[in-house]
Amino acid sequence: MSSATKPSVGYLTIWVWLIVLLGVGVALLAAPVSKTLAVTLIFTVASVKAFLVLRHYMHVRHQPLMIYVIIGVPVLLAIALTLVLIPDIAFR
Amino acid sequence: MQAVAEAHGHEHGDELSFWRKYVFSVDHKVIGKQYMSLALFMMLIGGLTAFLIRWQLAWPETPVPGFGWVPEPTMFDGVVPPEFYNALITMHGTIMVFFVAMPFLLGAFGNFLIPLMVGADDMAFPRLNMMSFWTIFTASMVLLSAFFVPAGAAAAGWTGYAPLSADPQYTGVTWGINLWLIALALEFASFLMGGVNFLTTAINMRAPGLTLMRLPLMVWTQVTAAVLFMLSVGPLVGGAVMLLLDRTIGTGFFRPDRGGDALLWQHLFWFFGHPEVYVVMLPGFGIILEIFPVFTRKPLFAYKAIIYSIIGTGILSFIVWAHHMFVSGIDPRLATPFSVTTILISVPFAIMVFSMVASFRGGAISYPTPMLFAVGTLATFVIGGVTGIFLGSAAVDIFLHGTYFVVAHFHYTLFPSVLFGGFAGVYFWFPKMFGRMMNETLGKIHFWITLVGFNCVFIPLFLAGAAGNMRRVYNPMQYDFLKHLSGIHQFATIATVVLLIGQVPFVINFFWSLFAGQPATDNPWRANTLEWATSSPPPHGNFEKVPTVYRDPYEYSLPGMTQDFLPQYAPAPAPRGV
Amino acid sequence: MSSVAIAEHGDAESREFTAQPLGRIGVWWFLASEIMVFGGLIGSYILSRVAAGGWAAERAHVNTRIAIINTIVLVTSSFTIVKAHAAAEADNRGQARRFMLLTVILGCMFLCFKGYEYSIEIEHGFTPATSLFWSFYYTMTGLHGLHVLIGIIINLSLFLLAGGAAWPRIKHRVEYAGLYWHFVDVVWIFLFPLLYLA
Repeated sequence: MSSATKPSVGYLTIWVWLIVLLGVGVALLAAPVSKTLAVTLIFTVASVKAFLVLRHYMHVRHQPLMIYVIIGVPVLLAIALTLVLIPDIAFR
Repeated sequence: MQAVAEAHGHEHGDELSFWRKYVFSVDHKVIGKQYMSLALFMMLIGGLTAFLIRWQLAWPETPVPGFGWVPEPTMFDGVVPPEFYNALITMHGTIMVFFVAMPFLLGAFGNFLIPLMVGADDMAFPRLNMMSFWTIFTASMVLLSAFFVPAGAAAAGWTGYAPLSADPQYTGVTWGINLWLIALALEFASFLMGGVNFLTTAINMRAPGLTLMRLPLMVWTQVTAAVLFMLSVGPLVGGAVMLLLDRTIGTGFFRPDRGGDALLWQHLFWFFGHPEVYVVMLPGFGIILEIFPVFTRKPLFAYKAIIYSIIGTGILSFIVWAHHMFVSGIDPRLATPFSVTTILISVPFAIMVFSMVASFRGGAISYPTPMLFAVGTLATFVIGGVTGIFLGSAAVDIFLHGTYFVVAHFHYTLFPSVLFGGFAGVYFWFPKMFGRMMNETLGKIHFWITLVGFNCVFIPLFLAGAAGNMRRVYNPMQYDFLKHLSGIHQFATIATVVLLIGQVPFVINFFWSLFAGQPATDNPWRANTLEWATSSPPPHGNFEKVPTVYRDPYEYSLPGMTQDFLPQYAPAPAPRGV
Repeated sequence: MSSVAIAEHGDAESREFTAQPLGRIGVWWFLASEIMVFGGLIGSYILSRVAAGGWAAERAHVNTRIAIINTIVLVTSSFTIVKAHAAAEADNRGQARRFMLLTVILGCMFLCFKGYEYSIEIEHGFTPATSLFWSFYYTMTGLHGLHVLIGIIINLSLFLLAGGAAWPRIKHRVEYAGLYWHFVDVVWIFLFPLLYLA
């Protein structure tokens, strides 16, 4: 079985980054920036965290293209659904 | 892997108990037959609801013969009251789509055939497979129990639009719709489990040499259907939870009086609902695509183009859903893009149809019952597809939405896929499943009565719809402008009775052939795909040895060959030249 | 033939086309469908929130502090379960079991803190029926919590099974449980800012 796993040091490093990014996200709440910018940054931070978990904990970077498609398509589809619904639900 | 498969073939160690062999079996072939039994049983119930609906439409407020025993307030001395009518149409749709079409086409044929056609010994996750059947069995019982609870079965339409469905005081139904939601949730869970199995098996357990471009189209359509289901059902699962909470604990997701949005339910429902109809259509097509080459004795025309069309249909099916909502109050700017995509989706479908028709040219065609049903599927489905174009154009849909035109359209797509296609599959694979041939005469009688009966029921409904007869109305004859349609409704109801009686030869044929049909050989139809490489029925473990695949699945009548078919698993080299 | 023997071919086997174990492909497909479940809910929340004007007043009453603690707990549990996976790969049964147990404990902590958080909110009169914001809040965190509970049961079962003779047969399933658990973590990584920060 060939799921290449990183050495344990790598996992701990990622954990540290995840906690740090959590702090960054929370700090952005109180940051002296516009609401829109704060929200954008907060979700960017969340995306980076998710990316780290996917890539390093779920080992996606060692997986074939098929796995990228299996994850990527539903994510894009969910985003597309939300976007298409904007005129009907968000701005009735 | 080969060793494991061989071990399966030789392990006759401990004989399984009756319960492990026939009830809680993990063998995909048994599970497939269990799904088929469930589907056929639910088809009976669904047919019964259809009869009651059609009686009420033809002879409103008169007692239905044979139903005087139903207690009040469900029926009143055999008369269908408006509340029960709403429950009937709801349950008819729900049962037929979720508990007949899907278990029949995917659960039965998918489970039985996919491992065989890819050369595997079983599905990837046999115990998960068993769980998926018992989940839908439970779901069926939950759904049917709704007929017996106070205030009766779900009555907000199979589409369950809010706020009708979200506030119990509008339908008067309390437990019925809650049970309906729970049954649906269980059914979704069942097919999610099945989908994981189908996809993993088809991707990962193919026999050596069986590349994706050599897969039988049955497997292609089942796999595409599984992907469509897996990716589209999610938002509706969320939506169903939201609706159940609206009904029970006072949330307001879909209730405008509580700040919610009723249109959101429609979007969530149809985002799933549209791919769902392709989940039903594609395996139906898969069945007839397997049958055509066998009985024309020549390869399918444009096999690769059909594969791309299947994929294209699947992708497009995700971006057409709002064509069910043109008159719901959606943003009008959404109407044009969805009209465009809807009409666009007819292109891959047309490619498939034309390829199928072209496959007949120059063939040595014979018409045993499976072929009759396959041709019947194609012919009737085309009518459904063409009438869909009318509905896909937003402007025309304004007039036709919510009328019997829509009802006739979707019966001309669903019925061919599920019934004509499904029956074609039963007659074709019965020998493989049960080791016996079905009776040809009874089969032909079944076909002709079904074909004539079906068309006589639904062609008139196109006319009724175009004349303005709206759906989901308990008594259209109460409106003066519809009174002239009473003859049409009565004709359709008589045809329904004929159609229902026409299924009796099938029931007799099925059970009689199980015990007294002519024993079947390994490959009675002289076909090429892997399921015919093993005995009828296949042994536990399916194949003595893992087969190797040497060629495409439809190599019939190759020039220079002595026999008119060359199975995928036969090692003789393919002749050179075309 | 016993059903155990049939299941035998399952998770660890693969054929020439993908060289991926069956269990891994199966779990990823399942996660794809789960992405759509939470994606649909989250999308509905975002849209409804925009339509309602932001819900700033309602959102002021959520308990960000507990949520931060819960995020740390869940992220740490992702760390422990990937360590369990690494240990299972190295056939280190004891280590794998220890980390699985830690993951179970952290998961239970998450649920306890969540339950405590719910109790505070209900005490203050914020139930699912209070407003549409709270309807979404309870539904999304509730569904997530249900997934956490199921994950705890899976992880606990693996921990217990790994203690017995089944270890060689099931050790590769630690990876699959991990994939599911990481997914639950990723959902929370998005729910947290959605409901508590932004």
